[in-house]
Amino acid sequence: MLPDETVVRTVLSGVTQAEVGTSTLGVVVRVPHADAAASLSALKASDLGFVMLVDLFGTDTGDEIEVTYQLRSFARDEEIYVKCALPYDDVLHSVWNVFASALLPERETAELFGLTLAGHPNPARLLTTEGVAPLLRRSVPIRTLEEVRDR
Amino acid sequence: MIGPRDTEHLVVNIGPQHPSTHGVLRLVAELDGEEIVNVEVSAGYLHRGIEKLGEHRRYHQLGTLMDRGDYLSGIHGELAAALATEQLLEVEVPPKARWLRSLMGEVNRIASHMIWYGTFGLDTGAMGQFLYAMRERETLLDVLESVSGQRMMFNYVRPGGVIADITPDAEQKLRTFLRTIDTYIDEHHALLGGNEIFQKRVRGVGVINREMGLSFGLTGANLRCSGVPYDVRRDKPYAAYGELEFDVPIGSVGDAWDRYLVRMEEMRQAARMIRQCIEGLPEGDVMAKIPKVVRPPAGEVYACVESPRGELGIHLVSDGSDTPYRFHYRAPSLFAVQVLEEILPGTLLADAIMLIGSVDILIGEIDR
Repeated sequence: MLPDETVVRTVLSGVTQAEVGTSTLGVVVRVPHADAAASLSALKASDLGFVMLVDLFGTDTGDEIEVTYQLRSFARDEEIYVKCALPYDDVLHSVWNVFASALLPERETAELFGLTLAGHPNPARLLTTEGVAPLLRRSVPIRTLEEVRDR
Repeated sequence: MIGPRDTEHLVVNIGPQHPSTHGVLRLVAELDGEEIVNVEVSAGYLHRGIEKLGEHRRYHQLGTLMDRGDYLSGIHGELAAALATEQLLEVEVPPKARWLRSLMGEVNRIASHMIWYGTFGLDTGAMGQFLYAMRERETLLDVLESVSGQRMMFNYVRPGGVIADITPDAEQKLRTFLRTIDTYIDEHHALLGGNEIFQKRVRGVGVINREMGLSFGLTGANLRCSGVPYDVRRDKPYAAYGELEFDVPIGSVGDAWDRYLVRMEEMRQAARMIRQCIEGLPEGDVMAKIPKVVRPPAGEVYACVESPRGELGIHLVSDGSDTPYRFHYRAPSLFAVQVLEEILPGTLLADAIMLIGSVDILIGEIDR
């Protein structure tokens, strides 16, 4: 089910400059990353009732890193996607104060896209060791077996 | 009289090679005597880069990668990848394929829950139920082997349908299995759940209430045990679940005992669905006509299924080429494992092992 775009606009109007639209994914809200936590908090507290952060992940668009927050409302059976664009090597501000479920996915996103995590209780790497390239960036290639052997 | 003791806190590594952490999970626990003060989850020992590899594979090959994510319930991972690809392609799946997906999904669910049930007992110190759980799992793996050729990593569900019809041998085995499974589950429940020692270990321990479950993004039995009746199969029907009758069991307290009861009831409901699937299996093709190499139009989709561990989702971003631009795997275990940092402090070290078992996590999914 898709939430009402005008209601979403009203909820976010006092918080940030949000761009609300519909894509193949559903209703997508684009906000500046500085306002991400405030926007999520407003959506959570509103009558729309987006009480769960279902998922958090990054995408390398080729120009920047796009971080997607997927929220779900059980009361209205609706989902919404909040997207923020970050320059490469920028700071990812944690939203764990709003949704505790962001704790591990944020660490993963930060390390695999080469972002610095800020405002997180434990901003250490999650999956790989120090010195490993940000693997999910498009510019980082998969090495072949020969390349790994000759390293 | 012994006065207040000034004991030093001890930091203990639980894992990654501890047999009861269900894989290579490592917990760094700070202990005050036998009581846990603080816990940090440390993952990454099984990281294979499934998401990165997915960006260099064709859409048909995503199922192969998903099999190695949640390796105990491969059918569900494959199904999520196939559903996402079909959403991008806007392909209609033949009715028989939809029913077979539900059928094999439920067969796989019981097989996966049997592993959870067996090892959960082991975590609390019981042994016998594990052997009986393997008896049930063996029959179900024979069924899956008969239709897919493999006992794990099935690669049975592909974009457009499934690779093969149910074989007469598999159908016969399932019918025999269904005659006894309800009695067997009652026996399982009496064997482990009826044990007073087990009940004393799990009742009232590791309570996950509604707010905690929602804020930590829990799904599946871990969320339902706290009384939130959310099940992807019922609320966003896929495959043939819209046409099947089943109940969604929920708990009330949210402790380890509730999670145990919810999963036991899920197995009964799965058996009920398998019965309906065999009786109502439609005639026809098992695979839609789709090209060997698919190039979906550019777009972004999310498809989710109810795996034994919760909501398993796939985000696919297509740029119109034959490989996904971005392939993201929403693993239910990644969210379930972080709730351990919340529920373990305050419990005893011995309960930690039991609680890891009670949230049913799988490391292949956490690390991906």
